Amino acid sequence: MLTYEEIMLLITALASVFSVIAVYYAIIEKNLVRAVVFSAIQSTIYAFIYYMFMAPDIVLVYIPVAVGLYPAVILILISKTEKVEKQ
Amino acid sequence: MISLSTYLLTIIVTSMIMNLALALYGIFFKPHLTKKIIALTILGDTANTFAIIVGYRRWISPHSPSRPPVLVDYANINQEDLVNFVNTAVDPLPQALVLTAIVIGLAVTLFLVFLALQIYRLYGTLDVREIKRLRG
Repeated sequence: MLTYEEIMLLITALASVFSVIAVYYAIIEKNLVRAVVFSAIQSTIYAFIYYMFMAPDIVLVYIPVAVGLYPAVILILISKTEKVEKQ
Repeated sequence: MISLSTYLLTIIVTSMIMNLALALYGIFFKPHLTKKIIALTILGDTANTFAIIVGYRRWISPHSPSRPPVLVDYANINQEDLVNFVNTAVDPLPQALVLTAIVIGLAVTLFLVFLALQIYRLYGTLDVREIKRLRG
């Protein structure tokens, strides 16, 4: 029977494995808009990890910055420059 | 024989190391400047996550969970509550450092975005191989 701490760590471990997948797709993706979306998914998973590691004040700052402002700024850059990374 | 908690924490730390390696690969080997900026934000977030993991405290018993380092209702608190808080709260120092690092990372990213925009206006491309060819 799992204890509550082990259940908490199990959920966090699953989230961190999903974050590796999101980072991998964010790095190899050629379409930059999709790469930004994968980066935002990774940021959401990180915010969840921070919450599980007892840092709710970090979550309150990290969600608007990393899920809102980073993708917005990079999407503005993409809209003014190139949308696809050439091989 | 390691415990399940240690095994799961090892999985978390290993995932973060893999994220760090992937972000470094993106910074060094991807030719497009926008992709380098995205990889840099991932690198900074992963470093912040390492700081948070360092500050985490394991549960001292299955019925007394670790708690956030926020002391509520400190007007009428006695010594026993304070000892209990100090024994169960996670370390607040890495969280304070991470709070600062997130804001500084945002400023650095905005500056890099501005530089990339100027490079695009001057050279007409954001591919570093072509920028290297066009230099001078």
